[in-house]
Amino acid sequence: MWCVIEVSELTKRYGSAVAVDRLTFHVKPGQVTGFLGPNGAGKSTTMRVVLGLDRPTSGRVLVNGRRYAEMRRPMREVGALLDAGAVHGGRTALDHLRWLARSNGIGSDRVVSLLELVGLAGVARKRIRTFSLGMKQRLGIAAALLGDPGVLLFDEPVNGLDPDGVRWIRELMRGLAAEGRTVLLSSHLMSEMERTADHLVIIGRGRLIADTSVGELVGRFQRGVLVRSPRAGELADLLKARGATVVTEPDGRLTVSGLDAGEIGDLAAGRGIPVHEVTSLTTSLEDTYMRLTAGSAAHASSPERTAR
Amino acid sequence: MIDALAAEWLKIRTLRSTLIVLVVLAVFVGLMALLAVYAATAWDAMSPEQRSRSAVSDLAPLTEWVASLAMAVLGVLTITGEYGTGMIRTTFAAMPARSVVLTAKAGVVAAVSYVSGLAAVVATFAVSRLIIGDRPIPGQSAEPFADRLPLFLAMALSITMFALIGLFLGTLTRSAAGSIAILVAVWYLIPIVVNHLPAPWHERIGSLVPSALTGQLAGTGNPDSVYGSLLSPPVALAVMAAYVAVPYGLAALRVTRRDA
Repeated sequence: MWCVIEVSELTKRYGSAVAVDRLTFHVKPGQVTGFLGPNGAGKSTTMRVVLGLDRPTSGRVLVNGRRYAEMRRPMREVGALLDAGAVHGGRTALDHLRWLARSNGIGSDRVVSLLELVGLAGVARKRIRTFSLGMKQRLGIAAALLGDPGVLLFDEPVNGLDPDGVRWIRELMRGLAAEGRTVLLSSHLMSEMERTADHLVIIGRGRLIADTSVGELVGRFQRGVLVRSPRAGELADLLKARGATVVTEPDGRLTVSGLDAGEIGDLAAGRGIPVHEVTSLTTSLEDTYMRLTAGSAAHASSPERTAR
Repeated sequence: MIDALAAEWLKIRTLRSTLIVLVVLAVFVGLMALLAVYAATAWDAMSPEQRSRSAVSDLAPLTEWVASLAMAVLGVLTITGEYGTGMIRTTFAAMPARSVVLTAKAGVVAAVSYVSGLAAVVATFAVSRLIIGDRPIPGQSAEPFADRLPLFLAMALSITMFALIGLFLGTLTRSAAGSIAILVAVWYLIPIVVNHLPAPWHERIGSLVPSALTGQLAGTGNPDSVYGSLLSPPVALAVMAAYVAVPYGLAALRVTRRDA
């Protein structure tokens, strides 16, 4: 499938510290790709390399098949919000967007409509210094959308937003992806991604840990189905015959893996075996994520680690 | 390049620091006017014998001297303001051709400093001429404006040179405080130190310090100053160009090689 952002064998070292280590992943259009990892995993570094701000030590990153640094008017292709604080506080929101628009040959009517879209029209002539973090995030999003780009990168965009703002961002991201745009959204919180992302790229210590859809990830850590039946032995034999692995728990319940709850129910019904309980033992994405990234947090607080 | 120039022009004129530097310069021109008023009234009250012993220095070079530092600070802030806030990353993400950005910044800083520098020295000349009138105060030139214009153009060029040195120093150091410290050294301390060198070196090196170039470029030399005047106008212009070109080259190299 056609990929919009291609990160290939990317390595970035700062002196002796390795921030990104032979990272390869692709980002596809029409969906929100969550870019997850603990703090210090290399998410921001990767995004800076995508935008040509940092030079890769080795490997390469292509956006729409080209290096970002070769784009003449990049904001028309790629919009990005890396750091909402990376603005000059002495300028007004309107002036900030105006110079950005001018730098990429974008008409000033876009500036006005985006200020309205992000809800900053009323403070357009206020200095950015007076803005809250949430307002700066909104300004950064306006800047990213200025050139109506097909590719969008957001680094931790919900930091500092109130619940309404978080929901607004979530709906905005979903909407942008639904329009066929490519959205790469970084976060260190899985809970944020569960409801926003379709696909997940998880990294830790600069390395790829998982590149998977949200559904797959849930499935991968499915722990089975718990079944209670007065004819447990008979049911166990039936399910084993269908290829499932069945463990009989001390209380007589069965833990079944290899078949889902619906299949188990249908099989039991087919033989007239009464079933009193069927429960899928799902692991939350949050737990799954914690398990995946365990040991790769840059500043872990486990005692063994600090003792070393 | 047109996009970058337009964007940088919007940036420089939407910053309060630009306005502050220009106001400081205007206030200094006002101070020069007050000095002229003081000189004129003092002159009128003097006896002929006192008059023969007094002198008032030419005021336009004073304005040039102060404008050089003011515009150099403007040049520094144009870039360090972006490094300090992190906005440089927004700038380079919007305009990935970094040497083009640096050149565009240099273009707008040069335009602002040349125009405001020229306005300041010409205003100082006009105001002091208006106030002093035909009083033959020693040290005050009686030349008509047209004869002095080449000197004023050279002054504006020197002010622009300082502004660009400021911009490129700011790019190299990424620090406003560090850049301004270096600038004050170049602008004030080094000429004084050089003046204390043994002959013939104080004259030779004193001709090469940045502030010494205006007089040599205009062909007036540098009488009654710490600066030497050994250079012909074309050589002075070449040295001036080198003071801009070398830091520009280093800054361009630095900005394209390093991570933003």
